[in-house]
Amino acid sequence: MNTLLTKFLFAVLYLCAQLGYAQDLETKEHKWYVPSSVVLQHAGSIGMFNLAAGYKLNKSGKSTLDIGYGYVPAKYGGDLNILSAKFAYRPYGIRIKNWGTLYPTNPGVFLTYHAGGDFDSTWDDDDYPKGYYWWSTAFRPHISLSTEFKLDAKKLLPNLGVKSISIYSEFNTNELYGISYIQNSHDLDITGIFKLGIGTRVEF
Amino acid sequence: MNKIILPLFLVGLLFFSCDSLEYSPNQSFDRNSPTNLNAKNLAKLAQNTNPPDDTLRFILTGDTQRSYDQARDLINLSNKYAPKIDFVILNGDVSDFGLRQEMEWVTKIYEDLNVPYVTIIGNHDLVANGLAAYKHMFGELNFSFVYKKVKFICEDDNSREYQFNGKVPDLVWMEKELQTDNSVNAIVNVAHIPPSSGDFDRNLELPYEKLLNKYPKVVASLHSHENRDNVEYPIPNGVPFITSNAVTNREFLYVEIADGKLIKYEHVAY
Repeated sequence: MNTLLTKFLFAVLYLCAQLGYAQDLETKEHKWYVPSSVVLQHAGSIGMFNLAAGYKLNKSGKSTLDIGYGYVPAKYGGDLNILSAKFAYRPYGIRIKNWGTLYPTNPGVFLTYHAGGDFDSTWDDDDYPKGYYWWSTAFRPHISLSTEFKLDAKKLLPNLGVKSISIYSEFNTNELYGISYIQNSHDLDITGIFKLGIGTRVEF
Repeated sequence: MNKIILPLFLVGLLFFSCDSLEYSPNQSFDRNSPTNLNAKNLAKLAQNTNPPDDTLRFILTGDTQRSYDQARDLINLSNKYAPKIDFVILNGDVSDFGLRQEMEWVTKIYEDLNVPYVTIIGNHDLVANGLAAYKHMFGELNFSFVYKKVKFICEDDNSREYQFNGKVPDLVWMEKELQTDNSVNAIVNVAHIPPSSGDFDRNLELPYEKLLNKYPKVVASLHSHENRDNVEYPIPNGVPFITSNAVTNREFLYVEIADGKLIKYEHVAY
């Protein structure tokens, strides 16, 4: 756990350093590995808090990929160390005056990895006959739908040195919740399988 | 106008959705998770004076797993039996994927029972972070209780989940629990996996069966896991090892015990 955390923190520091460097040379071409934003999310099945590096997949930033690390402390049902890779697409945005944009419905998919001995990506053949459990406990695929409110920081807070600040809420579910719902549509409520997260994205 | 309505709408949405905040599907509990349900149900049972006769009647079912609709039907049926039965035992595999959310869905169904219920841990409940979730929600893995002079010894016997380490089931703990005084006139053993199953520790199968046959008060050993009903006598004329069908197959086991004897057991389809 500690080594993983340490490695992650170093990675974040490195990326931040790169970010600062990249800003100095704004006119130069944007290196692919330098994130364009930093994302902090609370809940939403990727940790009590998850810190991620955000990448634009196209120039407009309608498609993004966020690579993050999330943690759940023991006191809150952990401890759990989670790596996440989140893809989101913002099909349309509503401009609000000249200072903001609302992206009302943004579909996405994301994959999480739970680190540690309790979680298996492949079931050990020595312990289990083939097909004994069919799902992975370490990797979990999710689908999501988010609403994002983006403020143009250059207009509103010109001294901050950032491009934009977004807040968003995101509902997600995973394949195991999905199967449980499909097989028990009488007893389970569809809203019960969707889990909420809230977050903020700062774009540089 | 937009400036006001929009944030208000968003804040309102969040406010009403706070219960949906999830840190991870694998988190072992959240602030709404029930705790210590076995102890709470046994406390309820201890206060139960209905029915007033000495015959103990209960329903045993196993392997809820992903069968919530079938479990709901079982609860409705049990409630019809309720004036007659003392409690319900959910004998393992409360969940399918070892997730807190599944265990909470199942407890939501079982809390509609008119009688108390106890759960025993199954192999699926030990998957991923399931052990921590199960312990938080239901309590200890090995426990016992006495009701109407019948002692129930309930243990974790999911040997495969412990890589057949020779310690599960815990025969030392069981032998201690099998020592009883005059306040007990019958003993029932309850564990998820039948000892004849490949998921039970092969090295412990015989010692387990012999141990339960060593004490004459033991009237039955009850199991689930196999998704079919079955009765075996590992030692001829000894203790019956009865396996219940699964919730998903819409069948449960009904048991009556009186005067230190197993009066009746019946596999009931619904």
